[in-house]
Amino acid sequence: MSLERKDDYDHGAWMESKDLSPIEEVYLTALIWLDRRLRIVDYLELLEDMYYKTNLQMPKSHTEQYNLDNKFWYWYPLYALGSFSTIAYVVAAISGALLGFYYAPSTQTVGGETLRTVAYSNVLFIMGDLNFGLFLRSLHRWSAQVMTAAVFLHMLRVYFTGAYKEPRELNWIIGIVLISLTMVFGYTGYLLPWSQLSYWAGQIGVEMALSIPLIGEWVAQLVFGGFTLGEATLQRMYILHVFLLPFVVTGLIAVHIGIVWMQGIAEPH
Amino acid sequence: MSGKRTDTDDSTEPRTDDISEPEGSEARRAVRTDGGSDTRSDGGIVPQDDQAPTWSERKQRTQGLSRLTYEYFERSRREDEDLRRASDYVERDVLAFPTWPHEMIRNLAITSFFIGAMFFLAAAVPPHLPGPANANSTPAVILPDWYLYWSFGLLKLTPLNPELALLGGEKLVSDRVYGVVANLVVVSIIAMVPFLNKGAARRPVEEPGWAALGVGGVVFAFTIAALAVKNLIAATFPIGNHELFDVTFLLPLVAAFLAYAVLKTMREGYMFELNRRYFRLRPPK
Ligand code: HEM
Repeated sequence: MSLERKDDYDHGAWMESKDLSPIEEVYLTALIWLDRRLRIVDYLELLEDMYYKTNLQMPKSHTEQYNLDNKFWYWYPLYALGSFSTIAYVVAAISGALLGFYYAPSTQTVGGETLRTVAYSNVLFIMGDLNFGLFLRSLHRWSAQVMTAAVFLHMLRVYFTGAYKEPRELNWIIGIVLISLTMVFGYTGYLLPWSQLSYWAGQIGVEMALSIPLIGEWVAQLVFGGFTLGEATLQRMYILHVFLLPFVVTGLIAVHIGIVWMQGIAEPH
Repeated sequence: MSGKRTDTDDSTEPRTDDISEPEGSEARRAVRTDGGSDTRSDGGIVPQDDQAPTWSERKQRTQGLSRLTYEYFERSRREDEDLRRASDYVERDVLAFPTWPHEMIRNLAITSFFIGAMFFLAAAVPPHLPGPANANSTPAVILPDWYLYWSFGLLKLTPLNPELALLGGEKLVSDRVYGVVANLVVVSIIAMVPFLNKGAARRPVEEPGWAALGVGGVVFAFTIAALAVKNLIAATFPIGNHELFDVTFLLPLVAAFLAYAVLKTMREGYMFELNRRYFRLRPPK
C-alpha cells in the first residue's frame, strides 16, 4: 500500500478539464492551497451567509413599499454629513499618524534657549524643514476642524429631521458623547505644540477642572497631571490625543454607524 | 440525549428527547454517566463529553436573569411572528431608508470630492504657529479653537449668577462653578431631547415649537460664542459689552419667534398635503 494519500477529489484534474485562463489558474491554485491549510471555504461561507442576511434585513421604506421613488426629500443632501464626519476623522487619523513620526511631547528646552521646548521646536521643524510638513500639519488641522463642523451640522440635521425619535434615542446619546469627545480631541491637540496659545488654553482647562464641585482637584490631577502646567500636562494630553481618544472614538463611531446600519436611515413621512 | 439532567433539573416536563431511545436506555444511562465508553447505536447526536448538556437542556436549566432573557426572547419572537402575519408589509415593519445601498452609494460617490476639498483647503490656507509657551507673559487674548467658543462663552455668564438677598448679596455658587455647571446643563438638556419630544412627527412644520427651539439653540450657540470673544467683537463692531450681553440672549429669542411664526403660517397648507399623502400611504385601520 502506498503511503501517498489517495486524493478522492482530484482538484488538479478538475482544473485541467476547465480550460482556465492564466489568471483563473493562479487564483484557483492559491485558493486551493490556502483552503487545504486554513479551511478558507468555511469562512467564505460564513461571509456569504452574513452578506445575504444583511441584505435580507434591509428595511423597507415607504418609498420602496409604495413605489414612490420619484418623491425627492429636499433635505436629503444633508444626510451626507454623518459620513463627512467619518471621512474627515479618517483623514485626520492618517495625517496625525504621519505627524506623530516627527513629534515628541516634551517640555525640555533645547539649544539653551529658555522657551524652546522639544515639542515646540518639533512643530517648527515639521512646518519649516520637513518635506510636505507644512501641508501635513495644515491637513491635520483642517480635517480636524472640518470634522468638528461636520459633526455639529450632522447633529442639526438629525435634530431638524426628527431622526432622533423612537428607535434611535440611543444613537442620539452616543452622538452627544461623540461630539463631546471630538471637542476633547481638538482641545488636547491644541495643547500639543506647546505654543503660547496652547499654554494659556491649558491654563483655562486646569482652572475649569479645579472649579468642578467636590472632585475638581482630583480631575485636575488626573487629566492635567497637577495644578500647574508642565511636562506631566503635555504628556497626558499626548496620551489622550494619540492613544486613549482614538480607541474610544473609533469604537464609538463603529457602534454608531452599526446601529444606523441595523435601523436604517430615518425616513420623513 | 439522556441522563445528564439529574443534578440541577427541577422541571417536571416530559423529556421529549428520550422518546426515541430504544429499550434498556435506563441501564445504559447508568453506565454512561461515569464517562465510560459510548456504545450508543441509536445514531443520535454524540455530545462532546458526557457532561456537555444539549442546547435545549441548557435552556431549561437556566435560572434567574438568563432564564428571564430566554423567556423575553421567546415572547418577542412570538410578537414579531404575529405582527408579521398581521401585516401587509413584505418584510419587516422597520420603515427607513436602507443604509445599503441607498446611503452608502451616495456617500462613497462624494467621498473623493470631499477629501479633495480638504486637501485644497489645507494647501490654500496653511496654519500658523504662535510664539512658544511662556508662563510669565499672559497674552492679551486667550482663546481655544473656534468650536469651543460656546463653552468658553458659558463661562462668562457671571452677570446671570443669582445673588441671594438672604445671603446679603453673597453668591450661592462661585462664578467659576456656575460656568462649568452651565456647560453641563446645556449638554444634558441636548441629551434629553429624544425623551422629551416623542411621537411620529419628523418635519419641522409638524412641530413648529420644537423647530423654533432648535433655531433658537443654534443662534444661541453663535451668540454665546460671540460673547466669548467680546474683546474682538468690541474692537470690530460698535457695540458695548452690555449690549452684546443682551443681544446674546435676545437674538436667539427673536430668531426662535420668527421661525415659529413662519412655520406656523406654512403649517396649514403644508400639513394638508402631508396628511393627504400620509393617509394615502397608511390608511387608518
Ligand atoms: C464623530 C461624530 C459622528 C459621526 C462620525 C457620525 C456618523 C453618522 C453616520 C455616518 C450616520 C448615518 C446617517 C448620516 O450620515 O446622516 C449617522 C446617523 C445618526 N447620527 Fe451620527 N455621527 C456623529 C455624531 C453624531 C451626533 C453629535 C449626533 C447627535 C447628537 C448623532 C446622532 C445620529 C443619529 C440619531 C443618527 C441616525 C439618523 C437617521 O437614522 O436618520 N451623531 N451618524
